[in-house]
Amino acid sequence: MSTDADDDRKKNTYHFDRHTPEYREQFEGITAEMLGKCPVAWSDTYGGHWVAAGHHEVFELARSAEYLSNDHDVNNERRGYQGITIPTPESEFQGGFLEMDPPEQRHYRQALNPYLSPAAVNRWLPVVDELVRACLNEKIETGGIDFVDDLANVVPAVLTLAMLGVPLKNWSIYCEAVHASVYTRHDSPEITRVREDQMKMFQDMFGQLSEIRQAPRPGMINALAQAEINGKTPADMELLGVIALVIGGGFDTTTALTAHTLEWLSENPGQRERLSRDRDTLLDSATEEFLRFYTPAPGDGRTISADCEIAGTSFKEGERLWLSWAMSNRDPSVFPDPNEIDLARSGNRHHSFGLGIHRCIGSNVARMVFKRMVTAVLDRMPDFQCDPAGAVHYETIGVIQGMRHLPATFTPGKRVGDGLDETIARMQVICDEQRLAEPVTVHKGAAAITHE
Amino acid sequence: MKVHVDPERCQGHTLCAMIAPDVFQLDEVDGHSTAVIDGDLPADLEAKAAEAVRSCPEQAISIL
Repeated sequence: MSTDADDDRKKNTYHFDRHTPEYREQFEGITAEMLGKCPVAWSDTYGGHWVAAGHHEVFELARSAEYLSNDHDVNNERRGYQGITIPTPESEFQGGFLEMDPPEQRHYRQALNPYLSPAAVNRWLPVVDELVRACLNEKIETGGIDFVDDLANVVPAVLTLAMLGVPLKNWSIYCEAVHASVYTRHDSPEITRVREDQMKMFQDMFGQLSEIRQAPRPGMINALAQAEINGKTPADMELLGVIALVIGGGFDTTTALTAHTLEWLSENPGQRERLSRDRDTLLDSATEEFLRFYTPAPGDGRTISADCEIAGTSFKEGERLWLSWAMSNRDPSVFPDPNEIDLARSGNRHHSFGLGIHRCIGSNVARMVFKRMVTAVLDRMPDFQCDPAGAVHYETIGVIQGMRHLPATFTPGKRVGDGLDETIARMQVICDEQRLAEPVTVHKGAAAITHE
Repeated sequence: MKVHVDPERCQGHTLCAMIAPDVFQLDEVDGHSTAVIDGDLPADLEAKAAEAVRSCPEQAISIL
């Protein structure tokens, strides 16, 4: 029921629908309008919800964990909150600890942090370099590559499985299932096949969890199988949600960032030469700038858990809120020339990994894998030219701002070492023998690459 | 110039240590940051430390 007080609270209204192709096409215009007129707005879409676009407003809101809930109460045991997706997806499945509140959320993060901290992730760098080298080997002699299919889809998938403790060769069961579930519209004829692939992935995931319970082997799944969360052993469905979160977070996002970056570097060859030449001083700031500009995960939903006033707006318990990392990343009050890519941008406090207690737990993996993929392309395919006619962007950017395909041509070069299948088999042996997927508290050394 | 990282605010984004590795260190287990140097910073590290302050997404670093 609408009241005068409600009308006053919701006086800044904006019809916001991030799931339409128009939102993608008009992103900069819509963003500038919302930042200028209504950095927090009430939208009538999807049952009505708030949208925060302003950098200051998103900052204040995202860090107010005492008034915001991520809970996705699929069994209706608490307050029936609907998690971080707006609108709520048809499948009632809790998205791991990203759809939980503390203390359970904190306990899960504490279980996984020793696998994902900067020190933990750096141990994997030699493995990542081997996977990248092998992916490029598969195409280097042909002069043509699809940067999504042949590189950016593959490396994050194989690495994520290795860190979980899943056999590396299973990557193909997971890879396309994850990407297709993001980019396939629910009314598309493809959706039946996509759901079948997802079922196969969940079956494999469940099989891995059961196997690891029987015979523990290192990796994040082992940590989850043994975790005590708020004094309880979690149900299998809850653990599958956590594993799916790690996989969903680890795959499509880094792929999206890498593809967009390579596309931009192809369109800006002078900047590409500069980045390659000055990478020692420029790669870190350039990475943060690509993260800011392309914001692979464009936002998160929340539910207001108690009446409150934050950043000048009064919210009521139960209302839904969309925190737009992507729009806040274009706020001119924090980022001069926000719609320009400045590889040396300073003071780049972007929101691409979120903020507050739910900060992306895989951010260190994402940065490392992205940097190794991009610099390897700069070294081995320095004159690559992306084909705009063959590039396929996701039709909408409501969930992930990603790409399905990014074909490119380049002057052919020589293979270095073995191909992808052989390398994956070799990395499996190295993972097993060196117990690379142990937490950093158990195993500190970086992977040692052997060629036998 | 001294720097301080508020442990309640830091969420382990790691930008400070990326920008000023001689000023900030990251915890091995959760990547959260602390200042390496308790007292005044050497003059040649001040600019990097200031850039780390400006770049922290959580605004967790203060200059004392």
